Amino acid sequence: MSELLIRNACVIDPLKGINAETMDIAIRDGKIVEDVSSAAEVIDARGALTLPGGIDSHTHICGTKVNFGRYMSPEDMRAGRTSRCGPMHATSGYSVPTTYGNSYRYSAMGYTTLLEGAMAPLEARHTHEEFLYTPLQDTMANTLFDGNWGIMEAIRDGDTRRVAAIIAWTLQAVKGFGVKLTNPGGTEAWQWGKNVSCIRDPVPYFEVTPAEIITSVVEANEMLDLPHSVHIHANNLGTPGNYTCTLGTLGLIPDLNPKRQTLYATHIQFHAYGGSGWKDFCSKSEPIVRFVNMRPQIVIDMGQVMFGRTTTMTADGPMEFNLYRLHHEKWSNHDVELETGSGIIPVLYRRKNLVNSIMWAIGLELALLTESPWQCLLTTDNPNGAPFVKYPEIIALLMSKKYRDAEFATIHPDTESRVPLPAIERELDWYEIAVMTRAGQAKALGIQDRGKGHLGLGAEADVAIYPIRIDETDPSVDYERVIEAFSRTEYTIKRGRVVSRKGKCLVDGNNATFWVRPEVSDDYDMEKDPDFIEKFDRYYTVRMRNYPVQEEYLNRNRCIETEAEI
Amino acid sequence: MRVTLAMKPAARSFIPIEAESIIPKNLLSGTDISVWRGNRELRLDEVFSVSVEGEADRPEDVEVVISGDGTFRLKRVGEYMDGGKITILGDIGMHCGNFMSGGTIEIHGSADGWLGREMAGGSIICRGDAADYCASGYRGGRKGMTGGTVEVFGRAGVFLAENIAGGVVTVHGDAGDMPGAEMRSGTLIIHGDCGRPAANMKGGSCYVYGTAHGMIPTFRKIGTIQHDGQMLIHFTGDIANRGKGNLFVKDYRYLE
Repeated sequence: MSELLIRNACVIDPLKGINAETMDIAIRDGKIVEDVSSAAEVIDARGALTLPGGIDSHTHICGTKVNFGRYMSPEDMRAGRTSRCGPMHATSGYSVPTTYGNSYRYSAMGYTTLLEGAMAPLEARHTHEEFLYTPLQDTMANTLFDGNWGIMEAIRDGDTRRVAAIIAWTLQAVKGFGVKLTNPGGTEAWQWGKNVSCIRDPVPYFEVTPAEIITSVVEANEMLDLPHSVHIHANNLGTPGNYTCTLGTLGLIPDLNPKRQTLYATHIQFHAYGGSGWKDFCSKSEPIVRFVNMRPQIVIDMGQVMFGRTTTMTADGPMEFNLYRLHHEKWSNHDVELETGSGIIPVLYRRKNLVNSIMWAIGLELALLTESPWQCLLTTDNPNGAPFVKYPEIIALLMSKKYRDAEFATIHPDTESRVPLPAIERELDWYEIAVMTRAGQAKALGIQDRGKGHLGLGAEADVAIYPIRIDETDPSVDYERVIEAFSRTEYTIKRGRVVSRKGKCLVDGNNATFWVRPEVSDDYDMEKDPDFIEKFDRYYTVRMRNYPVQEEYLNRNRCIETEAEI
Repeated sequence: MRVTLAMKPAARSFIPIEAESIIPKNLLSGTDISVWRGNRELRLDEVFSVSVEGEADRPEDVEVVISGDGTFRLKRVGEYMDGGKITILGDIGMHCGNFMSGGTIEIHGSADGWLGREMAGGSIICRGDAADYCASGYRGGRKGMTGGTVEVFGRAGVFLAENIAGGVVTVHGDAGDMPGAEMRSGTLIIHGDCGRPAANMKGGSCYVYGTAHGMIPTFRKIGTIQHDGQMLIHFTGDIANRGKGNLFVKDYRYLE
């Protein structure tokens, strides 16, 4: 039995409605409890800001795509090198660090749970293997279904129950957590050398449209009662004028779930562009946010761009090819058989570049204009917009108009006429930041019932204590202190153990992987479906029995079982 | 000031020595510096017989002379050097003169790979051959050498002056495959033959006074010029990279 008592913590816990109350937190065996014995180890927080452990609901840290980013950018490995230190392994890399690099740096910032944004089902093993070496965070993986042949055929036949059945089988086979659609239909069209321009373009051969894919998969997701909603990277990422397509996509979504959103639209910054080309490129954050503000069934995340060098990586192969034609940098594209694709290119976001400056502004506008922080979460789509180590700067930008103005003065001078940012006075408070970095994520992912994202009784004891007193700090002026505090926790506590202290990781860690197994009736068990089996064995390069990821690949196996309607 | 470092015969001579600390600036304040052999840190006098003559108060007045049998095992000599002179009476190991910005390195023997990688200034003279990636950039890097001069009197290996973005590289013998690949700026002069010069070049000038084998087809022939008393054929490219570089060859052969 291990016990820990955190005294004098200034707690903000939005899911429990606690806003800056000074209290004690008792922890026994990795869970939050009412009280502990006098033998408990004591940490005196001395009134420092204490939050539930951070959750990143969309990041790319593990898997084939990330790893390809690593080996096509050896120059990235020269940046951010740290040597071995105590239980910490040596790390290297800046935008695509080694798995330990990711884990340590996230931990130093108080993050304890991460969602890998896109896992190709066929290549799931690789993702899980890297999860094993991301020791200080619990992990889960969104699974890609955007170009799944079986699903598109079922949609063409109008059989949504079969769509659900294929999702159910695949999720449990690859130990996936949620359903991800990346440029739905577009990655399949790319295998024919084409793309879809928006949600009404049919996919070659399958003759289904992205709109049909989205609505069917959303419906199937609810049939399976999955903890997380469908997680979408909409069509047409990164093209000027794409905001109409984004609005069309969001408009497809009915409100189907009382507990959480029905659609999680990720990195909306990349989907909120106006103009007809790069010459008249401008921000369309306002219409997007107006739309989101009226629809509680939608949650977005920022996908904030920060200036500097990074690596873009997504399952959206055609988009990456277009990016290559813009930058003429090294690039890669990858096709994943019957499922999806991917692409990677390194980029440099520059202050002197008008388009990049506008992108930077759009992300901030989205967060500042969205009325409810529960509906707009803080991400950079790591590493696409910027490496996650920039989160503290983003927090400071959101909390300080002064800092935004100071930064605005350094970017391309024409930005002012293209974006509404300079007119936005709003400064987020500590509570809203806590929502955008942990509570909102837990709710959106549907893991608050698993004890994530809050400090209520029975919750997982994931706690981050930041070296800052909120009663003594005015974030709108002292933004430097805010950046410093959020960059390095005083203590990061994972499952009741102090894992990181002042930026140094203290233990080797042992992560848990959350995955979902929907219980379906025998009629909808794809393992026994002759048509599914035949197609599988005919078209895949692997046998169906070799496809599932064995449970040996999971460190701490956290299976979430759901009752499906089918 | 003249610092003479005569290498002692070492028992386990096959382990390379990481000697990035051997630069004139560090030796200015004494010879109490260390090098690494494998995972062991060694004092300079454990590896060399050290002798110092005279005094100096700036790196420019320091000359380091390295001699002995195993000098080819010394890696990263002259890394980040910014002034003074290093003379090597023998061969030198990999990464000699990395990132150097000033001063002179003279190698009386041959140099192993990555000689003068990403150097920004100063000069390197190699009397023997230089191995692969001489005066180049590093893996994945976008800029190689940005300034200074490298002169090799023997041959050079593959990927000579890869990603060069400034400075002058001269090789008096032949060069291997792909010299001046991804060249951005600067000058590359090869007095002998080479294979596939200046592939994907963006800018700069490359002169080949011998035969360019496996000539890249995406260069446009402009005409002939007289240069240093020789008739050279002038190409521009690499068109595949929308490049505006100049490639001058004495003779060329496309791949069969």
